[in-house]
Amino acid sequence: MSSVRLSDLRRTTSFRLALMFLALFGTASLTLFGFLYWQTAGYLKSGTDEWLAREVTSLVAASPSQLIAHLQEHAAHDPEANRPFALFDAAGNKVAGNMAKLPTPSLPLDRPFEFKLNRGDELLPFRGLARRLPSGDIVIVSQNVHQMHEFRELLVGAMAWGGLLVLIMGLAGAAMIGAGSVRRIDEVACAIERIVKGNLAERLPTRGTAGDLDRLVDAVNGMLDDIERLMHEVKGVSDAVAHDLRTPLTRLLAGLERAGRRAASVDEYAAAVDEAIGETKAVLSTFGAMLRISEVEDGARRVGFKSLDLAAIAADVTEFYQPLAEVKDVSFSLKDESGGSAKIAGDPSLLFEAIGNLVDNAIKFTPSEGRVTVRVFCQDENPGVMVTDTGPGIPAEEREAVLRRFYRAERSRHTSGSGLGLSLVAAVARLHGLNLFIDDAKPGCSVILRREGASTWRTLAAAVT
Amino acid sequence: MARVLVVEDDVQTAAEIAAALGDSGFDVDCAHTGREGLLKAGADTYEAIVLDRMLPGGVDGLAVLSTLRTVGVEAPVLILSALSAVDERVRGLRAGGDDYLTKPFEFLELTARIEVLVRRQAIPQRETMLRAGDLEIDLLTREVRRAGRLVELLPREYHLLEYLARQPNQVVTRTMLFEEVWGYHYEERTNVIDVHIGKLRRKLDEGGFPTLIHTVRNSGYVLRAAE
Repeated sequence: MSSVRLSDLRRTTSFRLALMFLALFGTASLTLFGFLYWQTAGYLKSGTDEWLAREVTSLVAASPSQLIAHLQEHAAHDPEANRPFALFDAAGNKVAGNMAKLPTPSLPLDRPFEFKLNRGDELLPFRGLARRLPSGDIVIVSQNVHQMHEFRELLVGAMAWGGLLVLIMGLAGAAMIGAGSVRRIDEVACAIERIVKGNLAERLPTRGTAGDLDRLVDAVNGMLDDIERLMHEVKGVSDAVAHDLRTPLTRLLAGLERAGRRAASVDEYAAAVDEAIGETKAVLSTFGAMLRISEVEDGARRVGFKSLDLAAIAADVTEFYQPLAEVKDVSFSLKDESGGSAKIAGDPSLLFEAIGNLVDNAIKFTPSEGRVTVRVFCQDENPGVMVTDTGPGIPAEEREAVLRRFYRAERSRHTSGSGLGLSLVAAVARLHGLNLFIDDAKPGCSVILRREGASTWRTLAAAVT
Repeated sequence: MARVLVVEDDVQTAAEIAAALGDSGFDVDCAHTGREGLLKAGADTYEAIVLDRMLPGGVDGLAVLSTLRTVGVEAPVLILSALSAVDERVRGLRAGGDDYLTKPFEFLELTARIEVLVRRQAIPQRETMLRAGDLEIDLLTREVRRAGRLVELLPREYHLLEYLARQPNQVVTRTMLFEEVWGYHYEERTNVIDVHIGKLRRKLDEGGFPTLIHTVRNSGYVLRAAE
C-alpha cells in the first residue's frame, strides 16, 4: 500500500467506479429512508387525527350535561393530562375538563393543529382538534405527541449515523480496490517495460482469476506469443533469404567477373550474359515468391473475393498439369465428389496457384507409374480439396516444418524449387478460411485443404489479424 | 514505325524501357511526370502508352489514365506497377488500362506485351481465317489444317495455337500465354506451359513438317512460318 500515491489512486478506474457506486448507493438509500420516514410519520399523524375526530364527534353528539359529566370522567381517568379534553365558553373561559386555558388565542376550528403545553418543567407538543357547539361553546380534544416526535427524531438520527457508516466503509473499500488495481497496473506496466526493452520471452502477470484484467492480460499474452513466433519466423526467413539469395548472387557476380577477365569473343560474352540473366531470373523469382506470400498473408486480397466453384478450379488445374503427368508417366485424375456444391468465396488465381502447387509437388515426388489424384468434396456444406500421391510421403515429424518458408524436406534437397511452395499454399488457405492438413496416404502423402465447420469465421478472423 | 509513350518517373528505368522498345523497332517518347505524360499523350498520337502506376507530383498513373480516357485518347495503355495485389490489377484495368505488368519485370515481357497491344489495333477483328505458311485456322469451325491435313487438337491446344497465330512472328511470353489461355493471373514458374507447347508442336509438325512454333530463349515462343 505504501507504494500507492493518492493521486494515482484517484485516477484508477476501479476507485472511480467504487466512488460512483457509493454515490449511487447513497442516493438510493437516502431516497429509501426519506420514503420510509414520510410514510411512518404520515401513518402516526393520521392515526392521531382519526382518533381526535372520533372523540370530538362523540363529545359534540352528547347533551350539555352529559358532555360535562363525560369530561369530568375523562379527567379522572387521565391524571397525567396526556390526553387533555376541555369545554370553553364563547369568551374563552374554561367550563370543564383538564386543560387550564385555550392553547392559542386564535383557535383553528375543525382541523387538527399542534400546540405546546407546560408539563412540569418542560414544554411538550400536543395535537388537538376544536369544534364549536351550537351554543357557541368550544370543545377541544388533544393528545400528547411527544413520543411520536421522539420516534421521528430517533429515525432521522439512525438514518444519519447509518449513512455516515456506509460512507466511511464505502470510501475505505474504494481506496482498497483502487490501491489493488494500481498495484496490478504497476505490475503489468513494469512487465511491458521489460518487454519493450527487448525481453520478448517475458509475459504479463496473471492471477488466474479470469477477471476482466486477467482476460485482457491473456489476450495481450496471446498477442505476444504471436509476435514472438513471427519474430522467430522473420529471423528464420532472413537467414534463409540470406542463403537463397546470396548463393545465386554470388554465382552471378563470379560469372560476370570471369567474363570481364577472360572472355575474348562476342560469343563468350553472350554466354556470360545469358548465364547472368538466368541467375537474375532465379533471384527475382525467389524474391517474387516471398513478396507474394507476405501479400497473401496480409489478407488485403479478400476484398476481391467472389463466389467460386472449387471443382471448376480443380478441373482447370488438372487439365493444366495433365501433360506434365503424362511426361512423367504418372496416372493423374480428378474426382469430383462435391456434386457442384463446393462453393467458396475466394480469389480464383490464388486458389489455382495453391492447388497447382500441391499438384506440382505431388507429380514431382511421385515415381513413374505412380498415381496422383485430386479429389473435390463437400462434407456438411464444408468444401475441400485433397491431393493424394503415391510418392515417398512426408514423415510425421516434418509435417509442420514443411509449411515454413524455405524449408526443404530431406527428400527434396536434390529437386528444384524455392522451398516456398507449401508456405504459399498455407497462406492462401488461411486467407480463404481453409485449414491445411498433411496426412499419410500409405504409401504417399495426402494434402487436404478443408473448411472446418463453425470455426470458419474464427479462422478467417485469425487470418486477418 | 509505331510510336510509344513511356510515362515513368525514374529517369534510368525510363531510359532502359525506351532502349528495349527502341531495339524492338518502336519510336519512343518519354515523360517523367503525370502532367508531362498527359500533355504529350494529348498533343500527339501514340500506338501504345507505358504508364507507371505511381507517379510523383500529385497526378498519379491512374489519374492520368482516366483523364486520357475521358478526353478520348484511345491508345492501348500498359500499366507498370510495384503493387501486385489482384484488386490493384482490377483497379488498373477498370480505369481503362489494357494490360498490367508488375515490377520487377523482364524487358522481353514488356516488349512482347506492347507488340501485342499495338498489333491488336492493326488487325481487323472480323477475320474468320488465320494463315501462317501452310497452317490454316478456321476461327468459325475451329478446324486446324497443316498443308491441307486436318490436325486434331484439344480445346486448350486450339486456344494456344489461335493466340500464337493471332500474333505471328511476335514473341509471346509464357505468362502471356498462361493469362490468355488459362485465364488465371500469377507468375507461373513451372515448365508446364513448355510441356503443353511441346505437345501442340508435335501434333502440328507430325509428318515431318518444319516446326512452326519456335522457342525463344529466356522469354517465350513465336509462331513463324518458314519463308
